[in-house]
Amino acid sequence: MATKKKRAPNGENDSWVAMVADSVIDTQNSGDPTFVRLKNPSTDTASLYMLGKGDLQLYEVKAFEEEFHSWFIGQTVQRDGKLLFITQMDPLYLILPYLVKSGKEGKFQPVSQLLMDEEFPACSRLLSCTSSSASLHHVTDEKEVGSLKFHRYSQEKTMNWLKKKVDRTVVALKKRNISVGGGVKSSTYIRVKSESHCSEEDYLRYAHGLISEYISDDLSKALLTHLQLPELTSPKEAEPPSKKRKISDQPVEAGEDYSKFNSADFARKPPKKMTAAQKTLAKVDKSGMKPMSSFFNPKVKAEKK
Amino acid sequence: MDLGAFEADNSVSCRLVSQIPDVCRTEDCCLGIDEAGRGPVLGPMVYGICFCPVSKKEELKELKVADSKTLAEAEREKLFEKLDKANSYIGWALQILSPNVISTSMLQRTKYNLNALSHDTAISLVQYALDSGVQLKEVFVDTVGPAEKYEEKLSQQFPSVEVTVRPKADSLFPIVSAASICAKVARDHVVKGWSFPEDLGDVDTDYGSGYPNDPKTKAWLLKYLDPVFGYPQFVRFSWSTAQTLMDSKAVSVHWDDDEEDGEKAAQRQNKKSMLSYFSVSAGRNNQSPAHQAHRFFTERRLKNLDTL
Repeated sequence: MATKKKRAPNGENDSWVAMVADSVIDTQNSGDPTFVRLKNPSTDTASLYMLGKGDLQLYEVKAFEEEFHSWFIGQTVQRDGKLLFITQMDPLYLILPYLVKSGKEGKFQPVSQLLMDEEFPACSRLLSCTSSSASLHHVTDEKEVGSLKFHRYSQEKTMNWLKKKVDRTVVALKKRNISVGGGVKSSTYIRVKSESHCSEEDYLRYAHGLISEYISDDLSKALLTHLQLPELTSPKEAEPPSKKRKISDQPVEAGEDYSKFNSADFARKPPKKMTAAQKTLAKVDKSGMKPMSSFFNPKVKAEKK
Repeated sequence: MDLGAFEADNSVSCRLVSQIPDVCRTEDCCLGIDEAGRGPVLGPMVYGICFCPVSKKEELKELKVADSKTLAEAEREKLFEKLDKANSYIGWALQILSPNVISTSMLQRTKYNLNALSHDTAISLVQYALDSGVQLKEVFVDTVGPAEKYEEKLSQQFPSVEVTVRPKADSLFPIVSAASICAKVARDHVVKGWSFPEDLGDVDTDYGSGYPNDPKTKAWLLKYLDPVFGYPQFVRFSWSTAQTLMDSKAVSVHWDDDEEDGEKAAQRQNKKSMLSYFSVSAGRNNQSPAHQAHRFFTERRLKNLDTL
């Protein structure tokens, strides 16, 4: 089968389009901002970040990526319609996994010793960020010996710190009118009704989900408990049984007489040849599906309160 | 013929009209509709109407208007001059559908085919005559598509008018011939005087007849094919000639309403087909190893990058 249109493998892009605050690219002082690959605390894989001039600020890089987009840039076309967003980020999120890891040893250590990673050598540069050393105390116990500072990861402090982050996120979500309720699948979908019915828990959960994008799974679960949010049960379990059982003392009787199919003269006809579509349908997992006939049964009247 | 209104912006649909003769407002009138430039891949399609009092039909015959296709260009020009001068009893109106309008109509998300576009243009011109106070009693049309259906459509649209749709109406009814002359002359003028809004430098205007089977036209299309943009607006992009050339010679462009088979498209987009949700294997172990981003990001199509 020949496809009508084929995509050539992605060519190399020598340019990209990004949304950046002026202050980031203002290179009057020392050096250019640089892209760095660091360990993403949530996925444990490499993600792209940016360090501002002099490594004073950390920025995360997110790409808006949707199918069927391209750029016209000046007199050229770029097939990749990505739009990069370079936004400021708290470096503590990226430092945290290293602290947690060493926290298991339970020792006080100088942070510069902890932030060593062969895979992501740039991680030591996180310490030059202005907020890093000043905010370490949010997640660690500190000891000072002479001019040296030693740190030890503290789960309790971290939880309190993360809770504050969640609370702040809730405030921001409310201010920005971000829809946190269920059922909305697209941010471009225009909602007719304003969602005033969103509960505080909806906001908390949403904010927790957002913060969880920046921490490990374990921390995310611990934070959920810390926020006193019960774990959501999966919708499958919450679903009512597909058929209501009739409560009756009467002996159960068969609704239809199937015995005729058991007689010897009822020979099974060989199955007819199925079309491709029927075959595909036959492969479908039917467990949990209601039979068509159940939709035609008289409804059991809902109990009145 | 003053084409200034169209030439100011040749990317749109434009209406040119004559004065409405006073007799047409008081006497019963007949009206003919015809079009020019339906088939070419280049240039506009022009719709023309001509109308005159029923009592003046004979005088129209004396002008010796005949089917525009049987006339040489110079004769057509002369006849149009005559028609235009007979403005005491003959009126005309033209709708120039630029190639850009044709392209965008036929290629838009909800397809608007050439027949529908033609019918609607004809209807709008008849409506224009009615709105201008012309006492229409009879309308004669050269058919587009099946004659009966078109006749029914027009009759329903204009219940007070007797509509006659005939193939070759332009040789049967002088008023249709007159309309065809107006349309053809306008199309010739527009094509000759076409000013390319694109920056093409000195354009080679030797494109032949403009019909897809003309080798000169094909050669011209090849010459002016831009790998990114395709063609100048002078070309009807919706014509298969143009599309085939672009498919083979230009960069491929994907639109989100490109037709693709469901599963194939899903595969290419790296998405799951609906069917996979029902298959046994996918239903059971739903724990995807890949990290599922929060919906704040997925709803906004935001992703982490690992390289630039």
